[in-house]
Amino acid sequence: MKLIRARRNQLVFDIGRREKRLLDEILGLYPLVPPAHYRLSKNVPAGQFVEHQRLLEESLAAQRQENRKNVKSLLDEPGRYQATPTGFLLKVTRPETEWLLQVLNDVRVGSWIALGSPDTEQGEKILLTEETAPQVRSMEVAGAFEAVFLDALTGRAPG
Amino acid sequence: MLAFKCIWTNEQGKNVVRVQVPPPAPVFALRVAAWQASFRRLGSAGVPAALDSCARTFYLPSMAATATPEVRPDIRREERTDSRTDLEPGYLVICWNDPVNLMDYVTHVFQVVFGWPRQKAEVHMLQVHNEGKSVLARESLEKAEFYVHQLQRYTLHATMERDQG
Repeated sequence: MKLIRARRNQLVFDIGRREKRLLDEILGLYPLVPPAHYRLSKNVPAGQFVEHQRLLEESLAAQRQENRKNVKSLLDEPGRYQATPTGFLLKVTRPETEWLLQVLNDVRVGSWIALGSPDTEQGEKILLTEETAPQVRSMEVAGAFEAVFLDALTGRAPG
Repeated sequence: MLAFKCIWTNEQGKNVVRVQVPPPAPVFALRVAAWQASFRRLGSAGVPAALDSCARTFYLPSMAATATPEVRPDIRREERTDSRTDLEPGYLVICWNDPVNLMDYVTHVFQVVFGWPRQKAEVHMLQVHNEGKSVLARESLEKAEFYVHQLQRYTLHATMERDQG
């Protein structure tokens, strides 16, 4: 998948058939991060922020609902992907790229949490077994798509 | 501002009362003339009463009519100044390190949420990466909460903590 055109409000990507299947599959996993993962504060006792914590959870639930709707629309919308001899052209606006990033990162972080939140920076290893393989795969694939979208947004994508 | 001066002096055995009225006060000047005539008629015995009349004629009415009380704030030097922290409780928006969020992604999110230029966003991202956390903002409860919501929408590990400093 690579950026082939960046207009003021639209990004056009060339995406292969297999890549499209992968992207659809990853987007279909959303959401993966458990709601309990989000805490408003580390140090303040939970009792002090009960109402605020509830608001955070409601806000994130609404956001997830919205993102789920967007994902469904992206996957189902006819004309979103334009067929080419080698694959497809994917057209997304910049705001759509923002929520795509949110969705992809949710899948990445959710997969990492499912793997036991290994602290790889402190030397913990991610064990690749038959059981962990799906999470490792979704984490890495989501990260790879994120990188493509980030490069496109920041204008660093190879043209 | 209306002003007048009332002087009682003794010159060569005579009681003389001089009243000075500023030029743009013709009504008062007429009253001065009437009062001087009364003084001449009564002689020195009339001086205290004349002075009293003078005060009633000029001082009291002019006070009521023109003098507006001027209240000035007390200006005094503070021995110490209260810091912002003392004056209002603040909340720190903190982003914590984790090994899963991509560095470019974190930089991008800081730019989007705080409207920072890339360079500043990168400084904070590197602080998160190298020091384990970065204080991104110090805000009121509501604003800090808003920022934490925004950062968590992007699945960053962000919290708000009461500023103890």
